[in-house]
Amino acid sequence: MATSASSRESIWADLEPLLPQVRKPAQYTGGEGNIVVKDHRACSSSWLLVYPDAYEVGQPNQGVQILYEVLGEREGTVAERGYSPAADMEALLRQHGLPFFSLETHRPLRAFDVVAFSLATELGYTNLLTALDLGEMAVRAADRADDAPLVMVGGHAAFNPEPLAPFVDVVCAGDGEEFVGEVDDLVKAWRADRERGAGWPREELLEAIAEVDGAYVPRFYEAEYTRQGRLRGTFPRRRGVPYRVPKRTVSNLDAWPYPKRSVVPLTETVHERYSVEIFRGCTRGCRFCQAGMITRPVRERSKDTIKEMVDNGLAETGFEEVGLLSLSSADHSEIQGLCGEVADAYEGTATSLSLPSTRVDAFNVDLADELTRDGRRSGLTFAPEAGTERMRRVINKTVAEADMLATAEAAFSRGWRHIKLYFMIGLPTETDADVVGIAELGLKVLEVGKRYGKKNKVTVSVGGFVPKPHTPFQWAAQDSPEQLRHKIGLIKSRVGGEKGLNLRYHDPAPGVLEGILARGDRWVADAVQRAFELGARFDGWDECFDLELWRRALADAGLDEAWYTTRERDEAEVFPWEHLDSGLERDWLWTDWQEALAERELGDCRWIPCYDCGVCPGLDLEHQTGHLPIISAS
Amino acid sequence: MPVAATLSSAGSDAGAAQSPSRSSSDAVAARSPSRSSSEAVAARIRVRYAKTGKLRFISAIDLGRLWERALRKAGLPIAYSEGFSPHPKISFPDALPVGCASTGEYAELTFAAPVAVDAAIRDLNAAFVDGCEVWQAVPVVHGAPRLSTLLAASLWQIDYPSDTDPCDVDAAVAALRAAQRVVIARHRKSETVEADLRPFVHDLVGSGTCVRAVLLRSEPPVRAGELHAALAAFRPDAAGRQALPEPTRFTRVAQGAPAENGVDEALSGARVALGASGDP
Ligand code: SF4
Repeated sequence: MATSASSRESIWADLEPLLPQVRKPAQYTGGEGNIVVKDHRACSSSWLLVYPDAYEVGQPNQGVQILYEVLGEREGTVAERGYSPAADMEALLRQHGLPFFSLETHRPLRAFDVVAFSLATELGYTNLLTALDLGEMAVRAADRADDAPLVMVGGHAAFNPEPLAPFVDVVCAGDGEEFVGEVDDLVKAWRADRERGAGWPREELLEAIAEVDGAYVPRFYEAEYTRQGRLRGTFPRRRGVPYRVPKRTVSNLDAWPYPKRSVVPLTETVHERYSVEIFRGCTRGCRFCQAGMITRPVRERSKDTIKEMVDNGLAETGFEEVGLLSLSSADHSEIQGLCGEVADAYEGTATSLSLPSTRVDAFNVDLADELTRDGRRSGLTFAPEAGTERMRRVINKTVAEADMLATAEAAFSRGWRHIKLYFMIGLPTETDADVVGIAELGLKVLEVGKRYGKKNKVTVSVGGFVPKPHTPFQWAAQDSPEQLRHKIGLIKSRVGGEKGLNLRYHDPAPGVLEGILARGDRWVADAVQRAFELGARFDGWDECFDLELWRRALADAGLDEAWYTTRERDEAEVFPWEHLDSGLERDWLWTDWQEALAERELGDCRWIPCYDCGVCPGLDLEHQTGHLPIISAS
Repeated sequence: MPVAATLSSAGSDAGAAQSPSRSSSDAVAARSPSRSSSEAVAARIRVRYAKTGKLRFISAIDLGRLWERALRKAGLPIAYSEGFSPHPKISFPDALPVGCASTGEYAELTFAAPVAVDAAIRDLNAAFVDGCEVWQAVPVVHGAPRLSTLLAASLWQIDYPSDTDPCDVDAAVAALRAAQRVVIARHRKSETVEADLRPFVHDLVGSGTCVRAVLLRSEPPVRAGELHAALAAFRPDAAGRQALPEPTRFTRVAQGAPAENGVDEALSGARVALGASGDP
């Protein structure tokens, strides 16, 4: 299935006349600020970076932006971006025989050497298959021709790639900055040899890639099951590939100061700002949080680098907002100085600063004050996650209720008018009392607010918990949608018609799918493909998600929903993701799960002695922070 | 009249919409300080700009953000409104329908401090992405009429596919010119209302495979798409004549005061001729 020369050229001339027929046409034009357009004929490798969701959701993604720049700066490498076409566009493309395309030069997906998908969530898997299918690729990796693009995935959801194993050629576990460069070198060599008539088979390229740190090549591994259908393990079937794939970790963030020139979208997206990660990793140890667990240890970017990035980033983009990102930004060792200096630098310029941080404490309010000197104190967000102190001990996000109310008091008294509180329901060991506690906490915060202004408001946002791989809660049972609906009902009736308290929640149905895909094994891939064939797309969008369609797909694949979701796993359970090594010791995860059940909290190893989760020695790393090291007493 | 800081030659208008190469040579002129005739400094300026290429597909809201970011990127001190969520003081007198190109868009900018007009426009044009470019800028003098009153007419060009028979174009244009009333259906929410376009079609000509028309300002405005619908609706009676196909492009060429055979462009006063289309 050789690609003809013509199918490698831009489809823009055919696409442009179709644009007046679709909604939000500007998402398909490319031409945004700061894009990198290179001549493909002058390059020796080409990458298509795909975020398998709508442009408005995917464009701001930090991971794609970083790799886009890292690859684009490489000599002889061209990187372009692609996003999922909405239903109207997909129908038109199919009707006119047009393929999935890149935004920079509107080239067909097949014209690239590598198609790399960024998987921030599990709910983009059917969009991934749509991109491949619409890109004129065989959906199953085993059916692909030698010269077909390599299909790669990375991102947090890729830490359990098994539900996608038959579709992908390479998985990147962990940080991508160094990884993509090493793979790019191999791809260049492969392509150069092919172009001079001395091509090697795809298998050989994959063998070479499998030796790159952080690379997992699913076809070289086999999942073994017992006769009862329980997983025995996923084992290498090729010499030289690692028994367990260690995740890739960039140790020095200052050496990778990306993004430098973020793409500036022409049309509306979910976050329009210049964002810089101020640190990566988190050791607060929230037991539900996959992002925190799989990105250990903490690696801070220095204050000077951050300030320089912000200065250049704003000058290069013209953005009116700066985001200082991380999993818990208030924990950066120099956060106070950083916020003060950035706020000084942009005072009076109508530049807004945001600091996503879920910490519930007065320090957070201080920082928020600092970032809103112009007095725009509208909403402040906290994430207590659970409604009672007992429940918060279980999830290891311990905050005393008194401290929480004192924080609310501090915020309202200094002019904040709206507090948003984020909670989860369906947590392990949760009782009705814990659930009602969410409503009660919301009401108490509102009561504090009312003392400072009759119009002050509280929003309580509730989401259903989905247990994730590589966390202490990977053994936990997930609540069914019925259980979650009951719990939402409890909160609703307790809140009653209280004016000033706004209750927000999502339909729990998509959580079922998220749960199946998050903890699924290779069998689940059949259901993913079946769902795609039945027409599933944009599963993360409430208006598109169809649980009944997915149940049909599961039935057709012979799979049992409850096995993957509501079943509590025992200590002997072998997980489908155990051959991907996040650094966390299985024994430590199990112990921490037992500690959770015993309602015991665990501190942050930035400030208490190391408790041997396993990550640092495995990576030969330590926390990179400005915090003073803790000397263990023993 | 405001003092004109003319950055592009007035004669460039005619061919610009038709030929991309012409418009890019205008772009060079606009960026070239040596062509400027003024070193005006002002805190309020009016500009005529082009919105072409891929930017045809962005909405009016997107356009506002595009301007704000380009101004910030260029380091120009655009003024912001007071209040809870400050907005940059940029006003666009009317919205171009999504999908249309234009070399006749206008905006009024208010800066927090006076800027050197020519240099500001040069920096701004360097900060814009491809498809947005200021062609001309003038300081707003005290007592100047509102910008919208200067835009009483707009010159539109509708391009048909290159294989369209020019005789079909001429036949449709002649039929419309001869008509007393040109009634089209407008779909507004659930209801459909009929409207007569004829009083607002100041003048129109066919030229090769394109139609150029001067439309008068009205409320609601007559859209170029409606003009096309009216042209395509004429039953071709002469032997062998075909109804007009879907256009390949709509372009607002310029706006200003209605004049004989064209419009007098709003900022420069220069006549943009109705008939000066693609094939001179
Ligand atoms: S190995 Fe020790 S210091 Fe490192 S993340 Fe784990 S507990 Fe913390």
